[in-house]
Amino acid sequence: MGDLFVWLVSFLILIALLIIVVYQLMCLADLEFDYINPYDSSARINKMILPEFFTQGALCLFFLMTGHWFMSLFSVPYLYYNVRMYRDKQHLIDVTEIFNMLNWEKKQRLIKLSYLIVTLFLSLFWMIYSALEDDEDL
Amino acid sequence: MATDNPGRTNIPGRPATTPFAAAPPQAASPFMSSVPAIRPDASGFRPFSTPAYPGVSPFSSPGPVPVSEAPGFRPAAGGRFNDPSSALPGPPPSQVSPALNYIQRFPTPQFTTTNQPISVGPPPTGRANLAPPLQPNVPPPQPPFGQPSAAIPAFRPPSQTPPVPIATPLQGYVAAPPVSSSPYFGQQTGYAPPPPPMGVTSLQSREPMQHPVSGPPIGNLPGLVEDFSSLSLRAVPGSMDPGLDAKELPRPLEGDVVPTSLSEMYPLNCHPRYLRLTTNGMPNSQSLVSRWHLPLGAVVCPLAEAPEGEEVPIVNFASTGIVRCRRCRTYVNPYVTFTDGGRKWRCNICALLNDIPGDYFAHLDVNGRRIDMDQRPELIKGSVEFVAPTEYMVRPPMPPLYFFLIDVSVSAIRSGMLEAVAETIKSCLDNLPGFPRTQIGFITFDSTIHFYNMKSSLTQPQMMVVSDVDDIFVPLPDDLLVNLSESQKVVETFLDSLPSMFQDTLNVESAFGPALKAAFMVMNQLGGKLLIFQHTLPSLGVGRLRLRGDDPRVYGTDKEPSLRVAEDAFYKQMAADMSKYQIAVDVYAFSDKYTDIASFGTLSKYTGGQVYYYPSFQAAIHKDKLKHELARDLTRETAWEAVMRIRCGKGVRFTSYHGNFMLRSTDLIALPAVDCDKAFAMQLCLEETLLTTQTVFFQVALLYTSSSGERRIRVHTAAVPVVADLGEMYRQADTGAIVSVLCRLTIEKTLSSKLEEARNSVQLRIVKALREYRNLHAVQHRLAGRMIYPESLKYLPLYALALCKSAPLRGGFADAQLDERCAVGSTMMILPVKGLVKLLYPSLVRVDPYLSTKVISQANGVKDFGERFPLTIESLDSRGLYVFDDGFQLVIWIGKMLSPDVARSLNLDFAADLSKVNLSSTDNELSKRLSSLLRKIRDSDPSYYQLCHFVRQGEQPREGFYLLTKLLEDQTAGTGGYAEWIMQIHRQIQQTP
Repeated sequence: MGDLFVWLVSFLILIALLIIVVYQLMCLADLEFDYINPYDSSARINKMILPEFFTQGALCLFFLMTGHWFMSLFSVPYLYYNVRMYRDKQHLIDVTEIFNMLNWEKKQRLIKLSYLIVTLFLSLFWMIYSALEDDEDL
Repeated sequence: MATDNPGRTNIPGRPATTPFAAAPPQAASPFMSSVPAIRPDASGFRPFSTPAYPGVSPFSSPGPVPVSEAPGFRPAAGGRFNDPSSALPGPPPSQVSPALNYIQRFPTPQFTTTNQPISVGPPPTGRANLAPPLQPNVPPPQPPFGQPSAAIPAFRPPSQTPPVPIATPLQGYVAAPPVSSSPYFGQQTGYAPPPPPMGVTSLQSREPMQHPVSGPPIGNLPGLVEDFSSLSLRAVPGSMDPGLDAKELPRPLEGDVVPTSLSEMYPLNCHPRYLRLTTNGMPNSQSLVSRWHLPLGAVVCPLAEAPEGEEVPIVNFASTGIVRCRRCRTYVNPYVTFTDGGRKWRCNICALLNDIPGDYFAHLDVNGRRIDMDQRPELIKGSVEFVAPTEYMVRPPMPPLYFFLIDVSVSAIRSGMLEAVAETIKSCLDNLPGFPRTQIGFITFDSTIHFYNMKSSLTQPQMMVVSDVDDIFVPLPDDLLVNLSESQKVVETFLDSLPSMFQDTLNVESAFGPALKAAFMVMNQLGGKLLIFQHTLPSLGVGRLRLRGDDPRVYGTDKEPSLRVAEDAFYKQMAADMSKYQIAVDVYAFSDKYTDIASFGTLSKYTGGQVYYYPSFQAAIHKDKLKHELARDLTRETAWEAVMRIRCGKGVRFTSYHGNFMLRSTDLIALPAVDCDKAFAMQLCLEETLLTTQTVFFQVALLYTSSSGERRIRVHTAAVPVVADLGEMYRQADTGAIVSVLCRLTIEKTLSSKLEEARNSVQLRIVKALREYRNLHAVQHRLAGRMIYPESLKYLPLYALALCKSAPLRGGFADAQLDERCAVGSTMMILPVKGLVKLLYPSLVRVDPYLSTKVISQANGVKDFGERFPLTIESLDSRGLYVFDDGFQLVIWIGKMLSPDVARSLNLDFAADLSKVNLSSTDNELSKRLSSLLRKIRDSDPSYYQLCHFVRQGEQPREGFYLLTKLLEDQTAGTGGYAEWIMQIHRQIQQTP
C-alpha cells in the first residue's frame, strides 16, 4: 500500500514539473509570436527556473529515499544537466540574447519535456503495477 | 591577348546560354559580313539591358534584312519555351506601370536568369523562368517562328566557314572595354560553346536543345571555340602555380567598389550606401542557398550621410495618413502598381490589393502611370522620409538628451583626460542638435558619486556627494537634468571649474557600477545618450571588475572566449534596462592598463552605442583625436528612440541580425540612438523551397525621433532579381557586403569559441565557396594548376586574410592586447562597409613626389595625388615618404634615404623621438603641403580622426608596431603572407571534401 502512495506522490511531483516546463515553453512561444516583450518573457521564465530545478532534485531524492533506485538513476542525468547549467551560470535566460537563443532554449525544454513524459509513464506503470500487486496480495 | 585561358574558364559559367543567346549571334554571323552589324549588341555592353536590345533594336535598325533574321531567331527560342512558362505571366507586365524606364530594363535580369537555369537546374524550372522575361521584348515575332530550331540547322552549314573571320574582329572589339562588358560577355559565351571538344558531360541533359544549333560545327571549330571563349571570360583564372607571381595577385587598390549593375537594372532602388546585399541575385531555391557558402544577407546603414544634393526627401502625408499595405504594413514605394483607374494599389511585397485613401487619389494616364507621379517623391525615389503622425508615438517625442558620466580618479586627472573632455564638451555646447529643447546633465565619480545641480536660477553649480555606493539614491532627482538653453551659463561655469575641482585628488578607486545605476535613475524618464568617460577599472560596489586579461595561460583553453564577454552579469542587465528606457551608451576608455573593454563594450553593444578606445591616453598626443571624435559624437545628426525593421517579399525571411542593438521582437531592432556612422548586418534564408517570383523586394524602415522633435520614418526600398543559377549569384556578388557580414559573424564567433577556430571558420567558408565555383567549371576545363574565382569576388581571399590578421582575430595572447581586440572588434561590428574595407586593407600612398612638385594641386582626396601600393614591405622605397591610412590612424613612414631637404624642411630630427614631431610648428612650403594633405585625408572620412604617427625606416620597435605588422601581405609573426594564403586555399579547394 505504501508503495502505491509513493508512486502517487511522485506522479504529482512529475505533473508539477511538467506544468513548469510547459509554462516556460509557452512563454517562449509567446515571445516568438510577439505577444509579450523579451523583458517580461525572460523575467517570467527565470522566475520558474529555480523552482523547476528544486522540484526535480526533490523528486530524484524522493525516489532514492523510497528505495526506487532505478527511477532515481533514471532522473540523475536530468539533475546533472541542471546542476551543470547552474554551476556555469547558464541556467537563467539572457534577455539580451534571447532571440538568438530562442531555438536552443525551446529545443532544450522540449527534450526536458519528453524526458519528463517518459518518466511519468514509467511511474504510472509502476503505480498500476504496485496497485495490481496489492490486489493480488489480498 | 587574353586568348586561351580566360576564355575557357568562361564557357562553363554560361553553358546554359547556348540555346537562346546562342541564337542571335550565330544566326547573325553567317549573314552579317561586317562587324558593324554586330554593333547593336556590342554597343549595349554594360547594362544588363543589353540582351533586351538585340531582340528589339535590329527591327528598327535600317540594317540589312538578314540582320533582322537574327533577332527573329531568338524570340523564336523564347516562343519555343513559352508554353510551360505561360503559367507565370504575372510579374513582368504588372511591373510595367511604375516607370517606363523601369520597363525597359526589366527584361534584362530575367534574361540573365534565362541563361542559367538550364545549366544547373532541372529543365522545367529553367523554362519556367525563361519565358516571362523574354515575353515583354519579344511579343511580335513569336508566332511565326514557332519551329525555329528546324530552320536554323538549315542555315548553318553555309555559315560554318564564315564564323572564323568574324570571330576575330569581334574579339578585338570586345577586348577593348574590359570591365563594363562583363554581363554581356556572358551572352557571348552562350554561342561560343558549340560543345567544346572535351565532351561536356554536364550538358548532356540539354543536348537535344543544343543540338540543332551547335551540332554541325563541332568538327571543324575547335580553334574557334578557344577564341570565342577567351573573350567571354567571366572568371579571371589566377594562375597559381607553385612559383606564383605575387604581382599578379588581385588587390583592392581602389578601395571599396560598389557593384553598379543593380542600380542600373533598377534605377528606382535606394542608393547602395543605405542597403547592400551580399549578392544582387537572389537564389530561387534552397538548394542554391546551400551551395552558396558565403553569407546571404544585407548590410544596412539607414542614416548614411548623403552627399549634398542627394538628401533624402521628406514627405508629409498630413491629412491622408501614411499609405501602407493593410496586410504586411509595407510603406508605399516606387515599386507598387496602381490599378483600377488609380483607386487601388498593389503591394509589391505581399501582392495585396489596397484601396487608396481619398486624399491620395490620382488618375492614371494611358500607361497606367499616376499623373502626379513626378510630384510624389515616394513614388520615384527609393529612399524617402515620412513625417509620422501621432499614431507612431508612444509618448511625446523626446528632446535630445546628453548625460555625461565622468571618471575623476587620479589617473584620469593625470592623463589630462578630464581637462580635454571638459574643454571639448564646452566647445560643443552651442552645436548640440535640437537647440531649444536639448537636455544635459553630469555625474562624476571616484570612490564616491558626485551629482551636480545646475538649475538655471543658480549662478554656480551645486555639487552633492553620495558616498554610500551600496545603496545608491539620487538627490534632487528633478534638477540634475537641465535644459541647456536655460542653464548654459551654469553648465559653462561647471565645465570651466571641473578640471580644477579635482586637481589634487588622490583617489584611486572607481565606483563605476553605482554611478552607472545613478545615471540610469536620472535618465530613465526620458532616455537619451549616456557618454561614459572611464579610466580606472571599477573597484567598488556592483559591477566590480578584476584584472583578468593578462593571463597567457588562458589562451587556447576553453576559458579563452569568456575573456571577450562581460565578466559580470550586471553589465548585461544594465544594458538591457538601458535599451528598454531608450538610453544609448557610448564608452570612452582611456586606461594604460587593462580596463576590461569586453565588459564595458557590452553596455554599448545592446544600446546602439559605440566604444572609443584611447589606450594610454596622454593629452599631449591624443587630445586632437579625442576632441574630434567626441565633438562628432555630440554634434552629428542623431536619431533618437528609434526602431528599425526590414521587410522582404514572400518566401524570404531575415533570420539573424548583427551589430549594436537589441532585438525587441523577432525582427524589430531597438536603437535608442542611431546615426550615420552605424551599420547593421542581417542574414536571410528562404522559407519556401522554390521562389516563384522574378524579383524580391526589400524595405528598410527606421522610425525615429529627429533632434528637432519630429517623429519620422525613413524608408529605403530596393528590388533584387531572383536568379536560378549559382554562376549568376557569384557574378552579382558584392565583396564589400560579404566581407562586412562575414566579419561580424566571425567576431561574434570569437565570443563563444577560440580565435583559432574563428579564423578557421573564415578560411573554411572561403574554401567552400571557391570550391563550389570551381566545380561549376571543372567539368569542361583543364583547371589543373589554376585557381579560379569569379571576377566579382577576386578580392575576397585577400579580405579574408586581412580579417584573420585584424586585431580582434590575429594570433594568440601576445599578438594584441585583449582590450585592443575587444575595442577594435566592437568598432568593426558597427562600421559601414566602406570604413570596414578600409580598415581591413588600408591604403599606402607615396607622398614625396607630391610634396616636391611645385604645383599645389587642387586634389581632393587621396586618389588624385598618387596611386595606392600593395601592403607589402617591397612597396616601400627607402628614398620615399609614405602615408599609411587605415581610417583610424595615419602612419607616416620615412625612408632611410629620403632626401635631406625634405627631412629638414619637415623638421624631422632623427635623433629625437619621432613621436613628438609637430608639423604645425614648422612654417615652410613642404610641411604646409604635408599638413594640407593630411587634412584632406582626414576630411575624406570625418567619422574618426586619424592620429598621425611618424616612423623611420629601421626604427625598432616603433616601425614594427605601427607599420610592419600591418603590412598584411607579408609574412608576420607566424602567419603567412598573401601568396602563401592563396596557395593554402588553393590546396584546400583541390582536396575533395
